[in-house]
Amino acid sequence: MAERWQGEPWAKDIWCSGKTTRRRFLGLSAATAGALGATMLVPAPWREAFGQAKPYKIGIMQPLTGVAAAGGKTALVGSMMAVDRINKAGGVNGRPLEAVIADYESKPDVGRRKVEKLLVEDKVDVAEGGYLSNVCLACMPVFDEHRTVFMVGVCLDTTITTTKCSRYVFRPFDYAPAQAVAFAHYLVNKMGKKWHIAYLDYAWGQSTRDAYVEQIKKLGGEVVGGTGIPLGTADMTPFLSKVSGNFDGFFGIFFGANAVVLATQAYDLGLTRKYKFAGDGAIAESTHLPALGHKIEGFVGINRYVPVLDPPLNTPHHRKFFDEAVAALKKIDPSGPLPDRYVQSNFEAMNFLKLGMQRSGFRGRDDTMKLIEALEGMDVKESDDFPQGDKTLRKEDHQAFLREFIFEIKDNKHRLVEVIPKEKTVVPPACTFSKA
Amino acid sequence: MTIPFDLLLIQVINGIVTGMILALVASGLTLIFGIMDVVNFAHGELFMLGAYLGSTVFLTTGNFWLALGAAVMGIGLLGAVIQTTTLRPLLGRDPLTTILATFGLSLVLQNYALWQYGPVPRKINEPITGHFSLFYLEYPWYRLLVAVLSAAIIGGLWLFMKYGKYGIWIRATTQDRVMAAAMGIPVPLVHTVVFAIGAAMAAASGVLFGPLTGVNHAMGLDFILRAFIVVVVGGMGNLGGSILAAIFLSLLEAFASIWVSPAQAVIVSFVVLILTLLFRPTGLFVPTPK
Repeated sequence: MAERWQGEPWAKDIWCSGKTTRRRFLGLSAATAGALGATMLVPAPWREAFGQAKPYKIGIMQPLTGVAAAGGKTALVGSMMAVDRINKAGGVNGRPLEAVIADYESKPDVGRRKVEKLLVEDKVDVAEGGYLSNVCLACMPVFDEHRTVFMVGVCLDTTITTTKCSRYVFRPFDYAPAQAVAFAHYLVNKMGKKWHIAYLDYAWGQSTRDAYVEQIKKLGGEVVGGTGIPLGTADMTPFLSKVSGNFDGFFGIFFGANAVVLATQAYDLGLTRKYKFAGDGAIAESTHLPALGHKIEGFVGINRYVPVLDPPLNTPHHRKFFDEAVAALKKIDPSGPLPDRYVQSNFEAMNFLKLGMQRSGFRGRDDTMKLIEALEGMDVKESDDFPQGDKTLRKEDHQAFLREFIFEIKDNKHRLVEVIPKEKTVVPPACTFSKA
Repeated sequence: MTIPFDLLLIQVINGIVTGMILALVASGLTLIFGIMDVVNFAHGELFMLGAYLGSTVFLTTGNFWLALGAAVMGIGLLGAVIQTTTLRPLLGRDPLTTILATFGLSLVLQNYALWQYGPVPRKINEPITGHFSLFYLEYPWYRLLVAVLSAAIIGGLWLFMKYGKYGIWIRATTQDRVMAAAMGIPVPLVHTVVFAIGAAMAAASGVLFGPLTGVNHAMGLDFILRAFIVVVVGGMGNLGGSILAAIFLSLLEAFASIWVSPAQAVIVSFVVLILTLLFRPTGLFVPTPK
């Protein structure tokens, strides 16, 4: 074959030889313009139903590439399920929702830049999403600066609704202090008094560890040791090898691929067979169970969402959500995973926005304060919009309170052990909004 | 300060096991750099794709060894295709072009894996599941098997390089590319074979490491960063140096984690890297040029 394949006879038609004639240039230009024009003439999916109604632009920020991409893609399924459902049901205030999706590449600096773009160039009316707590924290000042509501879809770092709270940011799902209040009694009274906590050594892991230490101590238990492991560590064995001593339970605070590594390697070293194994529900998300196999058997966790259809989750609302989510997830993963808390909380976050926009008569970013007032203190009931259950979005810190599920993994499936009503998860607010 | 001897011995074993896996990843990387002058930023993705291919074969056959063999062959072949289509046309150009090409390739392969396999992590079962008592721990035999297999693969590579016809060609090409070509050695073919071997070694380490971490699209990121440190500390292109550096750095990290937090322990590698670049830029295990 010739060194330059462009010189081959067969390449003549697909390779520009450098002889650009005016006729060829005009022909190509006309073809390109035609193709672009045809694309523009094809209406967006919502156009047909809504005619000339101006859509609400909803900025959705998720990590769709980089280390957290797996979680971000799952989370996006929840947001888009809600957007599609809202548009099919007539939109909000007679106007459709238009999702403007920003991939922040799992990096805080990119997240900040992408949020700036969403707010300044794309001029979104509200925003939703998140996933990585450090990215949410990095982006919160941008939402403050542009006075735009950000409905967090996943980020769990405690300080988002405590010391770093913002009038423009809402978290419509649980956080570590509420989970710790709900779970600590089970840990101390039914599993053991002495605990060793292993956690992801970054914003979310540290704040969650602090919440559990406080609650376990309050109930007469003791945390005898802690092991913080950096995010993205592939081989945790040298660090887990240090975990030894006289305690009853090994408690893990991990999520995503890090959770799979922890549960696998702790099992391999015998830790989760020697000690009782409990932790944040993110360790045993439905998406992790195939990779963990028997190594996660017996794990006891707490989560706002578990993919089971047993009481009290055997409602038509939950079944509907469950079936739709399974179908949507199959489109992005051929193995057909069950929905997890990331799908659920993004779905419900979008529905909170819908309700707030309806109740406040929101027309655009100028009505942000009206939207905030409508969302503050909002009570919602278990429904198709909120299949997880009732919720209260507290006015003082924009933190939601909801029921929690304590579960056990048996035969590689979630089994409900106890349901904690939302009233028993409430902790006092610790937020002072800065003057807007 | 008392020295906990039980933990010290545990960490020696941990350091050697981790070091051998790292050495397997790094030896492919250093081989490619030593012979082709290509810094392969897509090496971590070849590691990850090897694990995915292994998990697919394992899911179908239930046989770990078949999965390992298929991944080595499949990714080795992919490596040959990548070298021929992407890197060979860039031969002789500014080294920055190959860096950009392999970096772009890494992004493509990472997102391909996410699109093809989805976000749910996959599993490869270890071929042996037993444990033995190591002081207060139950240590898995599989980790030791991984270290032994890694050593065997690296040993096989050494024998191939020392006595094999292609190995001799590869060494000749490393010493003087122009002279090797003048002596009738097909240098472009040697480059393709080297890249294929490097890719196959990455795939082997991906399958061996899969049972310890699960298989996901980002599994290569942590290891590849450390493999780059190993290659620099061991001396760019120096196979023996990379193996020694991998074990040395893994042992240092394991020992450090006895006394400091994991977050501080992982900094040790970076400190060694900076010190190496400052005082022995050719690498710790390469004689300083006079």
